[in-house]
Amino acid sequence: MEAIKLQVNGRKRTVHCATNATLVDVIREQLHLTGTHVGCDTSQCGACTVHLDGDAVKACTILAAQCDGSTLTTIEGLAQNEVHHPMQQAFNECHGLQCGFCTPGMIMSAVDLVHKEEELSPEAIRSALEGNICRCTGYQNIVAAVVQGAAGMKEQQS
Amino acid sequence: MSGSLVGQRILRKEDHRYITGKGRYTDDIQQVGMTYGCFVRSPYARADIKGFDVSQALEMEDVISVLTGLDVAADGLGGLPCGWMIHSKDGSEMRQPVHPVMAAERVNYLGEPVALVVAETKEAAKNAAELVLVDYEELTPVVDVASAAQGEQLYAEVPNNTCYEWGLGDEAATDEGFASAAHVTHIELTNNRLIPNAIEPRAALAEYNSGTDEIVLHTTSQNPHLVRLILTAFVQIAPEHKLRVIAPDVGGGFGSKIFIYSEETALAWASKKLGLSIKWTAERSESFLTDAHGRDHVTKAALAMDSEGQFLAFKVSTTANMGAYLSTFASSVPTYLYGTLLAGQYRTPAIYVEVNSVFTNTAPVDAYRGAGRPEATYLVERIVEKAAGEIGLNPAELRRRNFIGKDQFPYQTPVALEYDIGDYEASLDKALEMASYETFEQRRVEALARGKLRGIGLSCYIEACGLAPSQVAGALGAGVGLWESGEVRVNPTGSVTVLTGSHSHGQGHETTFAQLVADRLGLAIEDVEVVHGDTGKLDFGLGTYGSRSLAVGGSALSVAADKVVEKGRKIAALLLNTEVDNIAFDAPVYKMMDSNETKTFQEIAFAAYVNHDWPSDNLEPGLAEKAFYDPLNFTYPAGTHICEVEIDPDTGVTEIVQFVAVDDFGTIINPMIVEGQVHGGLAQGIGQALLEQAVYDESGQLVTGSYMDYCMPRADNFPDFKVGMTCTPCTHNPVGAKGCGEAGAIGSPPAVMNAVINALGGVEIDMPATPEKVWRAVLSSQAQKIA
Amino acid sequence: MELHQQLTLPQSVDKVWAALNDPKMLQQCLPGCERFEAVGPDQFEMTVSTKIGPVKAKFTGKIALSDLNPPLSYVIKGEGKGGVAGFAKGSATVSLATIASEQGEATRLTYSVEASVGGKIAQLGGRLIQGAARKMAQDFFTKFVQALCEDETLVPEIETVSAP
Ligand code: FES
Ligand code: FES
Repeated sequence: MEAIKLQVNGRKRTVHCATNATLVDVIREQLHLTGTHVGCDTSQCGACTVHLDGDAVKACTILAAQCDGSTLTTIEGLAQNEVHHPMQQAFNECHGLQCGFCTPGMIMSAVDLVHKEEELSPEAIRSALEGNICRCTGYQNIVAAVVQGAAGMKEQQS
Repeated sequence: MSGSLVGQRILRKEDHRYITGKGRYTDDIQQVGMTYGCFVRSPYARADIKGFDVSQALEMEDVISVLTGLDVAADGLGGLPCGWMIHSKDGSEMRQPVHPVMAAERVNYLGEPVALVVAETKEAAKNAAELVLVDYEELTPVVDVASAAQGEQLYAEVPNNTCYEWGLGDEAATDEGFASAAHVTHIELTNNRLIPNAIEPRAALAEYNSGTDEIVLHTTSQNPHLVRLILTAFVQIAPEHKLRVIAPDVGGGFGSKIFIYSEETALAWASKKLGLSIKWTAERSESFLTDAHGRDHVTKAALAMDSEGQFLAFKVSTTANMGAYLSTFASSVPTYLYGTLLAGQYRTPAIYVEVNSVFTNTAPVDAYRGAGRPEATYLVERIVEKAAGEIGLNPAELRRRNFIGKDQFPYQTPVALEYDIGDYEASLDKALEMASYETFEQRRVEALARGKLRGIGLSCYIEACGLAPSQVAGALGAGVGLWESGEVRVNPTGSVTVLTGSHSHGQGHETTFAQLVADRLGLAIEDVEVVHGDTGKLDFGLGTYGSRSLAVGGSALSVAADKVVEKGRKIAALLLNTEVDNIAFDAPVYKMMDSNETKTFQEIAFAAYVNHDWPSDNLEPGLAEKAFYDPLNFTYPAGTHICEVEIDPDTGVTEIVQFVAVDDFGTIINPMIVEGQVHGGLAQGIGQALLEQAVYDESGQLVTGSYMDYCMPRADNFPDFKVGMTCTPCTHNPVGAKGCGEAGAIGSPPAVMNAVINALGGVEIDMPATPEKVWRAVLSSQAQKIA
Repeated sequence: MELHQQLTLPQSVDKVWAALNDPKMLQQCLPGCERFEAVGPDQFEMTVSTKIGPVKAKFTGKIALSDLNPPLSYVIKGEGKGGVAGFAKGSATVSLATIASEQGEATRLTYSVEASVGGKIAQLGGRLIQGAARKMAQDFFTKFVQALCEDETLVPEIETVSAP
């Protein structure tokens, strides 16, 4: 058992978990933040994507013990004061989700992408989302949502 | 339609919870005292079980119990049934080997469950599962579909490993057509085996309450009532009123979550036996091995034409893989959902199809998005395109010559269906225009200058949806009727709760159905709440598959809403002290026709519950109405898809450079949602054509058992799809809707493959058109040119 | 999965043969081998822990030597069960020949392996088996040569040959 201190969605949390517990297990089972999903066992689907110290990571591939002292943002922590984040809003407005299972991971990846890239063409978005699988939407509206969400994020900043 | 909501792009009501991480999927549920299940699965495709040794597993810390196939047998649980009886040509019933909940004596496919470990923690359950010793004696498996009938016999009761030898159509008339043909086109093809891969893996949580003797089963299902029916009536785990099945948020299904699987069955049984709450969630690897796979046909066919290119006759022989056991609806997929669609959009006067379904030591195969109809469309549209090439006619023109004309409906095909309505030329024309078909040749030449091989392919598909008229389904062998239920409950303050037997796992019913009912009653969409997926809340329902939800479930709600309006008229008459005939409903207001007195819908709703003086003879208090809607016919969505590809001859990589889909879904409630359904279907259809294939090696090991080896479509595999609509409303349901969920997956594979083959100068290859296959085909087409 | 390889050992055929028939030697050289016991003439039982791709497994299995032609060749057959991880089975034909070398007498060891795996290990690690088998062979013979020559710096050069 390890004691791990985290800043989770703005709150200080301490969890006790086995040395080999993955971050996603801790997020889901101990922090009870079930918006972060698990869709595969080979780190390919991206359903588990969260922000660790500001970077998008696949929480199924990281040991919780590695995250001691880190700041963690999950999908539950993205909206501020009950107002959707521009990316969340764009996913709704562009119909970028159907069953919603890939969605939290998609949104977290998309937000990270916008943080890291200046110019995002639809083609660039398509190739950047290579690590996130969606079986429902055919991706078209997801790409549209990321374009719109990126614009919304810029607007919010300025 | 009365209001202004139908036809609007209304944003989805359900999105808020999904985009904020508040969706509640089965694995998200945690209960105090919950325990965890882990299944022990066969590592062999076929083996005898010589014994179990669970002692080491039981000694592990936190392990509560280990139940094996022997315990299932000892408790006398029934096998998992197949719900559709198919008769062979000779009239005999299909052969159905017993499908045990967990195997006790013999395993028949890789991943088949043989034991369930229950432990206090997930880790403990997994670790203990490793210590369950099963003594297997490996047997030679049958894996290949085409030769399965000649393989070692797998079940004593199934000679030649053949489930049935089915036929449909008039063989003599078809042979006559061939005898008088000016030209015959032959084709041989396979329809590749697919793994559905809903991104939420299957999961179940079974909770037994000894105080009430009730089991509550949360599970990833497209049709919770069917789960309850089968677990109670057939497997006999509990009486039906003591089992409540809830399918909460479900992360995609595509067919794979229709079926009743071993895992939720074993969990429900174990929870009662052990008096526990037990949760199990599949790892992706388990999904690959045990979710029912799709497609897997091998087909030979011939099309006879006269000298003008008029189709005379079509003859088809297909072998379909059922896998190791008959899954819930497996038998119907290659028969009544396939053979009946072989007329396509054409007037072909004589059609005969034979289908042999065989068992192999592979995962069960059942309905996957489209189910039978993609296989039919793939065959028809490939052979039509090939025929056009052979007789030197433009493929669009050949199709046009053979279309059922828009004035010929209702149209009886030679393979049992009666199409109610359609306008195939309209879709074709619109698609040709959107695709700039006329100027393709310029684009081909331009691509060639860049060293790329460009090809174009058409597909004019039809599907039978809105499953299904119960009478027809029953006559064809279905074990249950396929109507749907709906209830419109008006609350005293005038808001409405809508209950439906349809189930949404991404389709957006919470919006579309609210739109439909709000429109009818003249309410704001926010005032309508849709409830689904819980046998404890609704009477009965048959769930969502076969693009049936709006056409059947929506129709039930439409009828229920009409009943509410009617009852409202009576209440209005009572309140306004007039005759019912003197009341008209102009949503949301009831009007007295011979005066200007009115009552709003809200006033009527309130009165329905608080009024005191009801005339006891003909009017009861309350305002809630139910309807069970049984469709009169299938619905027939149809359309044209056109695909344009570019092949890099050096690498064999195929890029889709343009994809146009024009569909006729009848009346559309929410175009945004419909387009989303089309996009998703196209991605799966194009995935089948270019990327996806489940492969077993000769020993029955699944070679494509993870996302490292099974090629899932990613965002960069697609261009932006161009989607267009035409509309001929369905003639026999009150909504006019035909269904849109499967069209993309049905129409697109032949469009893509026809384009690939066109680019390859006619060299035929099977799906998926992987770079390796395409590259080899490029070489052989170049060789052909030189020779 | 098939693997055909050969290497040269700076020892006499007799010495190599003896080492190849010594359970202690085999256990010591086999990567992850936790137990290797003789249970009958030319019959052994063993436990091996290994990891292929993402799958960790502990195999328990039987090994049998057959077609013995001392000191030139034998066939070694094995079958191991790894519980939930699946199973592995295979056989290897091992043959020895004396060759002349600059350092004096040496032995050429040639082996042909045929193996198959099933269950989870095949599902998740299938593509990695060839690589894993090569690595295992390299590890085995490195230790084998080092033990045989009592020199911990020796690393044998293993070459792949075409199927016999
Ligand atoms: S669950 Fe983490 S990538 Fe799939
Ligand atoms: S919305 Fe269902 S997987 Fe993406």
